[in-house]
Amino acid sequence: MNKTKQLKRPAKMEISLRINGELREWTVAPGDILLEVLRREGYFGVKRGCETGECGACTVLLDGRPVDSCMMFAAQANGRELVTVEGLAQREVLHPVQQALVEHGAVQCGFCTPGMALTAKALLATDPQPTEEQVRQALSGNLCRCTGYRKPVEAVLAVARHELPGHAESQPAKHAAVGQSVVRVDGAKLAAGRPAFTDDILVPGMLYGKILPSPHAHARIKRIDASKAKALPGVHAVLTYEDVPRVPHTTAGQAWPEPSPYDTYLLDSKVRFVGDRVAAVAAESRAIAEEALRLIKVEYEVLPAVLDMEGARNQGVAVIHDEPDATGIHDAKHNIAAIIRKELGDAEQGFGASDLVREREFRTQRQQHAMLEPHVTITWLDPDERLVIRSSTQIPFHVRRQVATILQLPVQRVRVVKPRIGGGFGGKQEMLLEDICAALTLATRRPVKIEYTRQEEFFMARSRHPQVLRMKMGFKKDGTLLASEMKVLASTGAYGSHSSTVQGNTGSKVLPLYRAPHMKFDCDIVYTNTPVAGAFRGYGCPQGFFAQETLVDEVAQELGMDPIELRLKNLIRKGDTDELSAQLGEGRKGLARLMRSCGIEACLERGAAAIGWAEKRSAPRDPASHLRRGVGVACAMQGSGIAGVDWASALIKLNEDGSFQLQTGCADVGAGADTVLSQIAAETLGVTVDKINICSGDTDFTPFDVGAYASSTTIISGGAVKKTAEKVRERVLELASRLMNISPEGLACRQNQIVAVNGSASLPMADLARHATYREKLQIMESASHFITDSPPPFCATFAEVEVDTETGKIRVVHLVAAVDAGVAVNPVLAEGQVEGAVTQGLGYALVEEMKLDENGRMINPSFLDYKILSAKDVPKLTTILVETEEPLGPYGAKSIGEVAINGPAPAIANALFHAVGIRVRKLPIGAEDVWWALRENEHKPTVRRAGATQ
Amino acid sequence: MFDHVQAFYQPQTIKEAVRLLHQRDAETCLLAGGTDLVLRTSRSVTALVDISQLGLSYIKRDAKALRIGASTTMAELERSTLIQCVANGILAEAAANCGGLQTRNLATLGGNLANGSPAADTAPPLLALDAEAVLADLRGKRRVPLTKFFSGPHQTAANHALLVEVVIPAAKPGTAFSCQRLARTERDLAVVSVAVALQLDRQQRCTFARIALGAVAPQPFRALAAEFMLAGQIVTRELMETVAAAAAAEARPITDLRGSAEYKRDISRILVRRALVECASRLECAL
Repeated sequence: MNKTKQLKRPAKMEISLRINGELREWTVAPGDILLEVLRREGYFGVKRGCETGECGACTVLLDGRPVDSCMMFAAQANGRELVTVEGLAQREVLHPVQQALVEHGAVQCGFCTPGMALTAKALLATDPQPTEEQVRQALSGNLCRCTGYRKPVEAVLAVARHELPGHAESQPAKHAAVGQSVVRVDGAKLAAGRPAFTDDILVPGMLYGKILPSPHAHARIKRIDASKAKALPGVHAVLTYEDVPRVPHTTAGQAWPEPSPYDTYLLDSKVRFVGDRVAAVAAESRAIAEEALRLIKVEYEVLPAVLDMEGARNQGVAVIHDEPDATGIHDAKHNIAAIIRKELGDAEQGFGASDLVREREFRTQRQQHAMLEPHVTITWLDPDERLVIRSSTQIPFHVRRQVATILQLPVQRVRVVKPRIGGGFGGKQEMLLEDICAALTLATRRPVKIEYTRQEEFFMARSRHPQVLRMKMGFKKDGTLLASEMKVLASTGAYGSHSSTVQGNTGSKVLPLYRAPHMKFDCDIVYTNTPVAGAFRGYGCPQGFFAQETLVDEVAQELGMDPIELRLKNLIRKGDTDELSAQLGEGRKGLARLMRSCGIEACLERGAAAIGWAEKRSAPRDPASHLRRGVGVACAMQGSGIAGVDWASALIKLNEDGSFQLQTGCADVGAGADTVLSQIAAETLGVTVDKINICSGDTDFTPFDVGAYASSTTIISGGAVKKTAEKVRERVLELASRLMNISPEGLACRQNQIVAVNGSASLPMADLARHATYREKLQIMESASHFITDSPPPFCATFAEVEVDTETGKIRVVHLVAAVDAGVAVNPVLAEGQVEGAVTQGLGYALVEEMKLDENGRMINPSFLDYKILSAKDVPKLTTILVETEEPLGPYGAKSIGEVAINGPAPAIANALFHAVGIRVRKLPIGAEDVWWALRENEHKPTVRRAGATQ
Repeated sequence: MFDHVQAFYQPQTIKEAVRLLHQRDAETCLLAGGTDLVLRTSRSVTALVDISQLGLSYIKRDAKALRIGASTTMAELERSTLIQCVANGILAEAAANCGGLQTRNLATLGGNLANGSPAADTAPPLLALDAEAVLADLRGKRRVPLTKFFSGPHQTAANHALLVEVVIPAAKPGTAFSCQRLARTERDLAVVSVAVALQLDRQQRCTFARIALGAVAPQPFRALAAEFMLAGQIVTRELMETVAAAAAAEARPITDLRGSAEYKRDISRILVRRALVECASRLECAL
């Protein structure tokens, strides 16, 4: 037998501890981490989020005090008392803290909720009446990427005050279910920490998959020797490019035919960024898999790396995609993935006719989604030998198609199951692990799990495209915009996933916010040997709005106009048509957007009042103080689905007790789709929301849906649900009409009954259902499909108040206001949660978040220790204003809400910074040091104009 | 994962712990709170010596000094009314900055110091407080002033000994303290952290000064030249500005992802000056 280093079997030791009140004795290895042991023992409420003690998802109470179980050896828990989230609820009755988190809308994806509930419980045990400051301090070790912390903090304070949530925004009469802040349908299970996520199961015989990442930014694999790895006991498969089919594809989760280039392979003989796949192994434990990776010998021919996007197109630069079989690349020889050239009118002519033309350059960084649940996939063969993929994905149906194509299986042989998702934000609109995990299952015929560690997530997953933008605008003296032009250079990283579409959005969703007879958008998207960019909440817009909204502010200042006034003069209004979108579709010709609803004026007005715009713009300052305050504003819009591309379907059947089964292919990423869709179904069917059982995102059992992206869920999936429910209601009324001897027109569904409109008779839905099932022998069941040829934009006005330390450059954001027109909010509390989460992600983007690479293209901050996402202590006062409009194309007047608010914080803060200290920072993030440098440069200029002062 | 760990020791006495450490090979690791140890990228550790059973979790005060057991956690320090009342609470404040609550419930004072991080949050206040580390080895216990404790990044005098206690001598009456910190976020390591002690006589002449800085040199350090400039001088705004610049000149910051060397040097100056001004204001000294 091959002599291979075998992992020394570690010594075992017994520990005994009391956990959730029960005495347990476990055998552990002395090096076992407590988190691993707890999950192994089935305490799935203890989540793995970072394994560096930063995120708090693995929080447990140790002798009553919250600790990170990823920071402890299991042996340290010997003789101690532990409480996990499983020990909080008494059977099905939630602990008051859990209950409050659910009722206050503080649960979104629910991945951080167990840890947060435990920390809050411990806080209230020692300090029953904490201040908001104390709650924020306590919760600051529980990172949440969804909520922006406002609702969790409110929930904890409410428990302390024994308050019930008051939802002032709920609409009293208009609708029964829509417009009501009903509690999320999945809230209780998430708050209780029940096993709902991909990794919360133990699959018998499961192997652990690991991917060998490339240490080089650009290299060819000359030789790869996996023999030692294969010989390691416990290793069941090692795959290299020699072992798998070579099918060019894109990992972008987009409708077929995807507009992204087919430039990616399951495994390739070339690696194109630090973290690119070299090989994959499946082994009996994570440790063996890791050891096997170390035993794979790879000989690389290191190639020159293209790291700088500005030089990527030059002659003589290394060619990243020199493989002959890639398709859809614009100009591979010059590393150009795609270009966009669009013009409405004649921009040059517009600038010629302008009184004031300003052109500025802006730079934006790589940001990562940092959802608390890293990517994770488990695959197995079911008894029929069909491939089952259980995965944390936003796009079950695209994954099914892509994996089938890559592994050369019929789609029919693949089933994708989406359990709960611990946050996505676009990062899971990508087929990232499913193909390689499935390949390992096919190779071993065993269940295989691959999950990224936080570090792998940073190295190997996706990010927001960095861009260099040149923004130019021409105005008349009175502030009328004549022409706007944006020239963008973007890096898609090593692969072109979402390359043309994200950047297309940078133009098509940004420029038309202001009416201009002349618009021009030029964009080059280049390959570099850097981490791959992809879809990320905002999808190209945060970059574009940062440039446009900062430049508009600058022009307002030069024209001596109030920035709001200048905006109002030029903003798009109801009845206008955005023609640029007709030119810039999803990688093809698009569709013009007609503004059927537009509340941007009201957003500006109400937002300005909330921040105290008029007073604060003219407030006198203390010249002696090193602290200066300022306020700034930015506007934004987005879309609701991809016009003419996105579509969804639903299936609803009546159960024999008068409840309904709603099947939808839609993937709730934590934003509340399951709840919103249940509300739409309940509203249409005239039943209460608890009568809807929703089943979502299983390709075997739910009808097709493109997935959760592009702010499409409420309008597209919701539209499909409404249509389906209407058909079901028609069937219900037909039958009721026969039973009640009243014509269907004289009947309505209301409060779980079928009632005569004139009030003369009623029939409980349950009675009708039983009758249909057992007397009529009839299954009432309908389905419908839905798409729209427009993409109604939600609008947002963001206001920021900042306090700038003029010595250190530190910006403290005091208050952020987001006023959003999302049409009719189907669930106002959930809608607020979307806004607050987006604003907080936008705040991180504005101030601190950045993936930094060294001179070899290797990320230098791949952990939450060094890549900071904001904690409860970092997030300022957030005010959310929902400005209601009626969108004719949306179900019950709804538009989208998931993305638009992420666009505002960066430009609003940049503008507030200018108002405070008179400097413009045109790069992101705006770190304290950037401000410090800019202030020093400014000192050397002869005069510093008082920011925002009118002439 | 720490797959190579073969033994987990839980000594009950300092003697036993010291003996285990003495016998250790390079891969035997002392385990206190564990929050730095678990982050180590080299996971070749073969044995762990858990020192949580040595009775080193205490905060005691007598007439001469305050004694803090090395196993006292950051959370215990920040919650201790004793620590909150000593030295304007700068040690409690620094302890509260050591990561999230979950980390502070595990991380110990001994670990924070013995890990030898240049950015250790508790180091500048303890330097400003003239603290001493009590080390135990086979020969017995000895005291090492904190100024001699740190010798470089992750190098300390505790390398071959066990840090059992931190002794803080009672401060001279009428001394004010201040600590200042700048970080990218509330939960990040400091870009610069500073602690200052200042005592003035009736003529506002400086009779005692300590200026300690963290995160801007291979180890936390005292800016001795700057302290010397203050000694015996009447404190003015101008003097504080000069002293702060001198302290910054003693820093040896490096450029890293938290900031450039140039920036950190200037922040050192600003924070030292702010700390001095705050001390003066705590002494009700009009500048």
